[in-house]
Amino acid sequence: MSVPILKQGDILIASIQAALSDRDLVDLRDELASRVGRLRSRGVVIDVTALDVLDSFATRTIRGIAYTAKLRGADAVVVGIQPDVAFAMVQLGLTLEGIPTALDLEEGLVLLRARKADRDHGK
Amino acid sequence: MADLVNQTPAQLLSREMGMTEQSVERRKRIVGLTAQDLERIAAIRDLVHAHIEEYTAVFFDYLAALDEGRPVLTNRSVAERARQLKREHLIAMVQSDYGTAYIAQRLELAMLYSKAGLDLRVFLAAFHHLLKNIGVTIMKHFEHTPMEGFETFMSLKKVAFFDIGVIVDVMVFERERVIRQQQDSIRELSTPVLQLRERLLLLPIIGVIDTHRARLVTESLLRSIRANRAKVVVMDVTGVATIDSKVANHVIQTITAAKLMGATVIVTGLSAEVAQSLVVLGIDLAKLNTVGDLQGGLEEAELLLGYQLVRGEHRMSRAPSAET
Repeated sequence: MSVPILKQGDILIASIQAALSDRDLVDLRDELASRVGRLRSRGVVIDVTALDVLDSFATRTIRGIAYTAKLRGADAVVVGIQPDVAFAMVQLGLTLEGIPTALDLEEGLVLLRARKADRDHGK
Repeated sequence: MADLVNQTPAQLLSREMGMTEQSVERRKRIVGLTAQDLERIAAIRDLVHAHIEEYTAVFFDYLAALDEGRPVLTNRSVAERARQLKREHLIAMVQSDYGTAYIAQRLELAMLYSKAGLDLRVFLAAFHHLLKNIGVTIMKHFEHTPMEGFETFMSLKKVAFFDIGVIVDVMVFERERVIRQQQDSIRELSTPVLQLRERLLLLPIIGVIDTHRARLVTESLLRSIRANRAKVVVMDVTGVATIDSKVANHVIQTITAAKLMGATVIVTGLSAEVAQSLVVLGIDLAKLNTVGDLQGGLEEAELLLGYQLVRGEHRMSRAPSAET
C-alpha cells in the first residue's frame, strides 16, 4: 500500500494510513527524497497517527527519511506517535535521535514554520 | 475462565492464599505428620466417631460460656452451619487423609469464623478444650497401655496443630485483606494529572513509587498528553522520599516517551537523598530537565510556552467584599 504525499505550500505531508511493509517504507523514502528536490520543499511532516506498532526497521527507515530530507534541504518532523507506541519504542531502545517530534499534524506544521522563521532571521 | 466463576468462596480463597498440593504437603512436614501417626489415628477412628456429637457439644458449650464466643452463636443459621462443619471436621480428622479436600473444609470453617468475627484466642481455647475431651476418651481406652495412648493422642495432636495452622492463616489473611484493599485504592487515587494552563500539565507524585505505580503514572501521563494536547509537563517529586534504580529508569523511559509525543518534561523537587541516590545508581541524567522547586519549574514551563506573567491590579489590597 502506497502512502499519499500531500503538498501544502512548501511543506510535504506524508500521512501513513495503515501498517506498512518494509518495502512500502523504502518506497516512501525514495518518493519523498525525489519530491523534496522536485518541488523545492522546505519541510516534511511524517504522520504516524494511524500506526499502533513501530518496529526497529520502521524507526530506522523513518530516521533515514528525515536525514535524507535534511540533506536535500528540508526539515523533517515526525508527528502523532501514540502513547503506547512511544512507551514501547523507549522500552525497546528505539530512538529518533535528533529528529523533532510533535503531538499531531497541526503542531508539526507550527514547529516547521517556527524553524523556517528562525532560519529566515539567520539564527 | 468459566470455572473461575463457578468456584466456591473457599476454593477462591485457597487460590488467593496459594494453597497448592505442594504447600499442603509442606504443612504436613512442618507439623511432622508421618505414616506411623496415620496408623495410630486409624486405630482410634471408631472410638472418636462414636463421640462426635459429644465433642461438638463440648466445643460450642465452651464458646457459649464466653462473651467473646457469642458472635458465632447469635445468628442461628451461622451457628447451625458451624456445628455441621465441626461435625464433619471431627469425622475427617481421624480419616487419615489430609489433602486439598480436607484443607478446603478447614478453609470454609475458618472463613465462617472470620466473617462472624470470632476472637482467635477464644477459638484456640475452645479447640484446646475439645482436644482435652478427646484425650480423656483415648486415655480411658488405653487404660492398660498408657504410653501407647499418649503416643496416639500426640499423633492426633499433630493433625490438630496442622488445622490450627490453616485456621490462623485464614483469619490473618482475611484481616489483612482490608489493608490490601486500602493500599490498592491509595495507589489508584494517587496518580492525578492536572492541567494548569492550556498545554501545561502538572503531575504531582507523593509517597512511595514502586514498579506498579510507576507504570500507572506512565500510562496516565502519556494519555493525558494526548488528551490535553500538552507541550510541557511539570513532574513534581517533592513528596517522594526514596527511589530505586528500576523506578528511576522507568521514569526516564516515561520522559523519553513523552518527548517522542512532542512534550517536554520538567522534573522538580528532587530531594537531596533522591538526587544522591540517582547519582550513586549511575542513572543517565542527560535527558532529565530538572529545576529545583515547583515554582521554578512552573516559571520555566511558562517561559517554554511563551507566557509572560504580568502583575495587574493588587486585588488583595481592596476590602474583601464578603466581610463588609
